[in-house]
Parts: sequence; C-alpha cells; structure tokens
Amino acid sequence: MIDLVREIAAGLFLFAGAFFLLAGAIGMNRMPDLFTRMHAASVGDTLGVSLMLIGMVFLAGFTLVTVKLVFLLAFLLFMGPVASHALAAAALQAGVKPLLASERTKKPSGKRKPSSVKGSGKP
Amino acid sequence: MIAAALLAVLVAMALVVVRALRGPTTFDRLLAANSIGNLAIVVLALFGFLTERPEFLDLGLTYALLNYVGIFAVLKFFRHGSLGAEAEADKP
Amino acid sequence: MIETAVTIILLLLLGAVTIGIVRVRGLFAAVVLLGIYSLLMATLFIVLDAVDVAMTEAAVGAGVSTVFFLGALSLTDTVEASAKRPQIMPVVVALVTAGALLWGLSDLPEFGSPNQPIHSQGADYLARSIPETGIANVVSAVLASYRSFDTLGETTVVFTAGIGILALLRRRRGEGKS
Repeated sequence: MIDLVREIAAGLFLFAGAFFLLAGAIGMNRMPDLFTRMHAASVGDTLGVSLMLIGMVFLAGFTLVTVKLVFLLAFLLFMGPVASHALAAAALQAGVKPLLASERTKKPSGKRKPSSVKGSGKP
Repeated sequence: MIAAALLAVLVAMALVVVRALRGPTTFDRLLAANSIGNLAIVVLALFGFLTERPEFLDLGLTYALLNYVGIFAVLKFFRHGSLGAEAEADKP
Repeated sequence: MIETAVTIILLLLLGAVTIGIVRVRGLFAAVVLLGIYSLLMATLFIVLDAVDVAMTEAAVGAGVSTVFFLGALSLTDTVEASAKRPQIMPVVVALVTAGALLWGLSDLPEFGSPNQPIHSQGADYLARSIPETGIANVVSAVLASYRSFDTLGETTVVFTAGIGILALLRRRRGEGKS
C-alpha cells in the first residue's frame, strides 16, 4: 500500500517535472531575445529539475541516495539564480558592445511575435 | 514511468541543443550550456534509477559544481576581459 | 531497449554539436559548444557504464579545458581567421587518424564476448600477484609491476608535458618584465 502511494507520488512529480522541462526547452526556442529566453530556461532549470529530483526522492526512500538528491537540489536551487544573475549582468555589460546590440536591434525586442521562430530562419 | 521521464528529458535536451546551435549571441549558447548541464544531471539520476543503481549521484554533484565553474569562468571573462589579475598585469 | 534509444539520441546530439563547432566562427561560441560537447559525452559515458571515464570527461572537458581555452583566448584573438585557400593538410591528418582508430577498433574483442582477456586472465592475476610481487593491492601490482614499462612511459609523457609548460610559462613572464 505505502509502496503504491510512493510510486504514484513519484510518478506525479516526475510527470510535472517533465512537463516543466519540456515547456522551458520549447520556450528557449520560441522566445525572441536573450532575456526572455533566460526566463524560459529558468523555468526548466528550477521547477523542472527540482520536481524531477523530488520525484526521485520518493523513488529512493530513506537512503543515502536521498541525502545526495537533497544536496543536489539545494545546490541547484542556490546556484541557478546566481548563474542567471551573472549571465544577465554580463550580457547587459556586453550589450554596449556592438555584438549584442546589433543582434537585439535586428529583432523586435519587447513584443513577442508568434511567428518569430520561422521568420528568423528564412532571411 | 522512469523511461518516459528519461525520454522527455532527452527531448528537452535536444531542443536546448538546437538553441545552442542556433543561438545568435554567445550568451544564448551559454544559457543553453547551463541548461544542458542541469539536464545532464537529471539524465544521470534517472538513468541510475532506471538501471537500479542510483549510487552514482556523486557524479551529479560533480557535474553541477563543474558546470557552474565553467559558466562563471566564461562570464568573468566577458565582464573583465581576462580570467584574473595576472593576465591583467601582463598588459603594458 | 531504452538504453539503446538513449545512446542513439545522445550520439545524434553529439554529431549535431560537432557540426556546430566546425561551422561557428566566433571562438567564444566554439568554447561554449565544446563545453556542451563534453557534458553530452560524459552523459553518454554514464549510459555506457563507464563512470570513471565520465567523471574524467566532465572534470577535464567541461571544467578545466574551458578555463584553459579562455586563458588562451585572452592572449590571442577571439575570431577565427578565415583561410585564404582551402587547407588540405588538416583534412589528410584527420582522415589518417580516423582510419588508424577504425583499424585499431577492429582488433578489440567483441562487445560482451566471454572470450575477452578480462574474463580469462583476471583470476590468474588475483592468484599470483601476492606471491610474485608481495603487493597487497592487485591494481597497484598490475600497474607498477606487471605493466611497469607502460607506467614508466606514461610518467615520461606527463613529465615532458610539465617541462614544456614550465618552459613556455617562464619565457612569457620574462618577456612581460622586459
């Protein structure tokens, strides 16, 4: 009985994690510029990964594996925002340089066009 | 169940690799690299549970640490133009 | 079955990333793509049950060599110079190396075959290493006694590489001071 409940809980968490990972990955391809893509990626990197790890905690039970999973979860939850912040700061600073500025003025910054994925591939 | 989750993670990984290959700026590729590192950790953990040998999660911790070391090295390089003070001192 | 599927997907992604590395012109982007390549490769090693190699690949490929490449980029230019005329020599070297590797691959024992030497000779070493060498650890006995010339060669290679790096670093620092 308790094993069945555990399996079901693990399955639900894994399913939710897979959903958020896929949503983040699709968003990374559909979003128009870097910062919106970071927004999409952080969905997958925090929610998706942590839900997956919580699901695996249910699979593992009270063992050493759970301790490792919890360490991993804590590390990812702490480092993900730090990495996002560093990435955004470095990108902003490089935005003064023509590399990023020219790339961003080419695309519609701000408004999101649904057809931007196909539109950017053709020309 | 685990196999389905593993396949979903792999599909997500393929999509992120597509972004890494397309990504107009280096920061896009860097973002994708960070995501791929996280997804690799999930693949590793899920594969451990799939083969019923989940003891290799230490590798996941190593991946996480190394992933962030790499990301911060690249980002520091972008912000300061070098990796440390020593290369700075070499410039005349 | 699922392991085969995972292996195939990871190999396809590796191929795509490799083509991307070749096609990209900015060297920073190439460094980042190389890091992605190492992460995928390490994941593939784990799927193939080579955990120690995966650890090495992740540490060396994604961690250390990224930092080394960045250090090299800070000393040189960051955009690949376009070749004036088509380069023949690198293609020849790559093809010869790939051919040699494939040729060597055909000599390996078949995957999972019970006749490969690791299954027939391991017990032999376990039995005779202590009376012959007196070393309690069998791995150390094989490395330092039965394969001592091999280990000596490896040590020589590492030593030479260290001397080379030291020589390069000393020359640079001297130039910077003068």
